[in-house]
Amino acid sequence: MIGLLLAKDLRRAWRNPLPWVIHLAVPLLITGLIGLTFGRAGDRGGLGRIKLAIVDEDDSALTGFLRGALNQREAGQHIEPFFLKRDEALREISDNRLSAVVIIPRGFAQDYLTGEKRVTLELIKNPAQSFHPAIVEEFLATLTTALNALARNFQAEFPQWRAALERPGGPDFRTIGDLAIRAGDKLQAARPYLFPPLIGYERERRASESSHGPAWNIFAYLLPGMAAMFLLFLADNAVRDLYRELRFRTFERFRTLHHRLFTFIASKVIFAMVILLISAAILFGGGALIFQIRWERPLSMALAVLSYAGFGAGLMALVAAFAGNERTADILNAVFTMLLSLAGGCMFPAEQLPGFLRDHVAPLMPTNWFVVAIRGLQFGGMEEIWTHACLKLGLLGLALMALAAWRFQRRLERGQRG
Amino acid sequence: MALLKARELLKRFGEICAVNQVSFEVREGEIYGLLGPNGAGKTTTISMTCGLLKPDAGEVLVAGKNFWSDPQGARRILGVVPQEVALYDELTGRENLEFWGRLAGLAPKESRQRATEVLEALSLADRAQDPVKTYSGGMKRRINLGCALLHRPRLLLLDEPTVGIDPQARMNILEFVRGLATSGTAILYTTHYLEEAETLCQRIGIIDHGRLLAEGTLTELQRRLGGDQLFVLEGDLQNATPEQWPDFLERFRVIQKSEHQLVAAAIGERDPAACLKQLLALPVRVENVTLKRPSLNDVFLQLTGRQLRE
Repeated sequence: MIGLLLAKDLRRAWRNPLPWVIHLAVPLLITGLIGLTFGRAGDRGGLGRIKLAIVDEDDSALTGFLRGALNQREAGQHIEPFFLKRDEALREISDNRLSAVVIIPRGFAQDYLTGEKRVTLELIKNPAQSFHPAIVEEFLATLTTALNALARNFQAEFPQWRAALERPGGPDFRTIGDLAIRAGDKLQAARPYLFPPLIGYERERRASESSHGPAWNIFAYLLPGMAAMFLLFLADNAVRDLYRELRFRTFERFRTLHHRLFTFIASKVIFAMVILLISAAILFGGGALIFQIRWERPLSMALAVLSYAGFGAGLMALVAAFAGNERTADILNAVFTMLLSLAGGCMFPAEQLPGFLRDHVAPLMPTNWFVVAIRGLQFGGMEEIWTHACLKLGLLGLALMALAAWRFQRRLERGQRG
Repeated sequence: MALLKARELLKRFGEICAVNQVSFEVREGEIYGLLGPNGAGKTTTISMTCGLLKPDAGEVLVAGKNFWSDPQGARRILGVVPQEVALYDELTGRENLEFWGRLAGLAPKESRQRATEVLEALSLADRAQDPVKTYSGGMKRRINLGCALLHRPRLLLLDEPTVGIDPQARMNILEFVRGLATSGTAILYTTHYLEEAETLCQRIGIIDHGRLLAEGTLTELQRRLGGDQLFVLEGDLQNATPEQWPDFLERFRVIQKSEHQLVAAAIGERDPAACLKQLLALPVRVENVTLKRPSLNDVFLQLTGRQLRE
């Protein structure tokens, strides 16, 4: 009987696809817009190279080394450096042609090597971009940590470095070479302390990876969040079909037949789940085609989606069951979806939320469980998290469905209409 | 044999008593009409007889068994046509019929076959593959009726099935319903159209404000007014006081009186010409007198003091 009811609902959805198509197109569109605006795709859908301007007002040999480092092979893959004057750099960033500007102030090398003054690097981020400036900031933080570490450990040799770098007539590269070798020897001696043998770290290499390695695809990061939010909207639309059946009196007609009410309600919840599964397949499959995303663990993802579909259908059914009528259900479901999406890190990364939300609220949000699980599957290192997330979502979904069915049944038996 | 018996049905919604001790029965092959204005309690009564609402008091017997002792069993022999069109607009007429047929317990093949028969019978075979949303109001009504018939119910409950459709479509539906009754189906038919009740139903119950005021065949109801003579006097009757006219109330029963019209029924078997002579001799200025057979509207008028059409 449930199969018959489900087939009827799917046929109706197929004949009137517009509401479903809108809910499927919007997350893909938003993902595309955000990705292109804040990240821009690289050749494999990755972040692309960060356009960074260096304003070297010090123009010393040391800063020359730093500038040169940005053109090294590894850095050059991710950073596209421009060496500009301050005015020029500010103009470029105002025109949104740069992600960030790093200004090395005059006297930087001297202050650093003598330790006489506190040294600073100035960072100007492009407020119109999100990911690239943040990455530059992180990079700069790492650089200052490294410079601090160097200053603490090689303070005694800094006068020699300074003399070699500031020799009249140009840097004394021979002395610099000797100093570099000595520094290397020191690091070599410190190696057992820096890398204790009991704990090791090695990056996994997979045979299937191309020569470039797996690209960090911004769309693969954004799409799960958008999908989590819009799958809830789709679940709402599917469950509210129960109210449409009340409005069209088809539900009343069903009640004049010899079937139990629970069958009808269960069919709607299953309908919502099926719609969510189909939609998720379209969203993630479409995302893979449009944004060149290669989903790393499709089967595990399918399991996560299945459990999330159970949660989504259960939640929306419960809200609809308690709402009392279609209009209230519509409003409440929209509010719940937005709140869950916002607090769960669907719209923004949860790490960027205010402290309280990030630490105490987001981890409780099922949307967050799902998004973290999918991102974990995609970007690795979260084996336990996704299985726990699936389990929690599945159990919660079942509980919500049972509660919703019970509530609907009670209401409808009393003759309350939507 | 009575397939449906309603005994002393009572239903309250808060302070409002929607149905107050209504009793009636519908026999095999009979069309029983429940006639009353909007809000009279017809839909509430039909909702209680098909189990959509539980009565606060009284009982419903379907095929001799209390409905609520075996609701699923009772529903198997019932077919219900709701007042509003209850169809899926996105599905075709045939798909709607087959779907409701399957839900009523038919096998897929049987459901397809019956749908074809019903589509033919309702003259909708040529539009069977079109979505219901493209149908006219009358066509939707016919499919709405058809959906309740696929499993060939022994008892059919029709709640104002012809509301809001054109006369031609109404004629088609009434003809179809007559055919069903001829084949032995017991039919409970609610309506607020006098003509439908008069021409379609073997027995009629008149309901108003939740109470069944009178019940019987058309002839039996007409007799309540005193035979088949009804006189309508038109003129200046503003100051007329029938109770003061000599011997008037012994000979006539006043059905309705307004400023310009007086409707009176002759008491007993009397010669119409003599009645007419007596009426023209009344101490009022009469411009026109009409003699007519009493209608259901007159019966309703006599029972409630107002016209059914008001």
